[in-house]
Amino acid sequence: MEKQTKILTVDDSRSMRALLRVALVERGYEVCEAEDGVEALEWLETNSADVIITDINMPRLDGFGLIEKVRASTRHIDRPILVLTTESSDEKKKRARDAGATGWIVKPFDPEKLAAAVRRVAH
Amino acid sequence: MFIDPKLQDASRRVRVTVMQGMVETSADQDVVLTTVLGSCIAACLFDPIARVGGMNHFLLAEPSSSQINADTHYGIYLMELLVNTMLKQGASKSRMKAHIYGGGNIHKNMQPIGQRNSELAERFLNTENIMITHRDTGGTNARRVDFLAASGKARCRHVDGAAAPTAKPTIVPAKSVGDVEFF
Repeated sequence: MEKQTKILTVDDSRSMRALLRVALVERGYEVCEAEDGVEALEWLETNSADVIITDINMPRLDGFGLIEKVRASTRHIDRPILVLTTESSDEKKKRARDAGATGWIVKPFDPEKLAAAVRRVAH
Repeated sequence: MFIDPKLQDASRRVRVTVMQGMVETSADQDVVLTTVLGSCIAACLFDPIARVGGMNHFLLAEPSSSQINADTHYGIYLMELLVNTMLKQGASKSRMKAHIYGGGNIHKNMQPIGQRNSELAERFLNTENIMITHRDTGGTNARRVDFLAASGKARCRHVDGAAAPTAKPTIVPAKSVGDVEFF
């Protein structure tokens, strides 16, 4: 049996986490959640995910900070990270790219396109 | 941002009309966010410490609690966009308070689309732990809302439903939504 792809979703909005969970679970993915960058890093200390999907605007540690910390770690240095955000400015995209993000998706998201992006980056 | 000079009164008040599908925020004490609602919903959020407020305005054709569809995605997006725009101006989500206006079922023979839209806004705010301190929704009247964003003061006047603009549901941009860019 093929191993189920596990996704960590990081978003401070419970509504958005619920939308992501429904969209991804319906398409056969296992979903874990964190509500900001700090909680995501804590979770990643003892767990692992195949793909991380993160928001940018979050309290405590935002998406940029999370990407930088994940890339500086040893265990998750190559983990695909997709940014999912209401932001679309080139400046923010560049910051995410420089921090080491794998891709950028603008909200509102299309569940099919999101699942296709996850399939493409998961390894 | 659309500012109608005719509506600026002597006290330096600047009226900003919030059109359907839009989000406007302000930390300026002279700015009044204003809109007219028939079936449409306007959520007004306010952070009393940062003194930042904002309003959105939407009408979705099929917001649904039982199934998650494109309209639900778009409604949550418009609520989140309001929150995020305020965060950039120094607001904190945990301090935000909300008012909800509109959602009238103006035409008796129509589906209760206004009610379903106000339910979507309420559900979002409840899920996000944002307290709703005032609501004036439903009924058959239209409403004119004036919101002093920076102080969180709102005035909602009921106007005859026949005078309300006939709103068409916001068309959810189908093709460009959720485009993915790989780095």
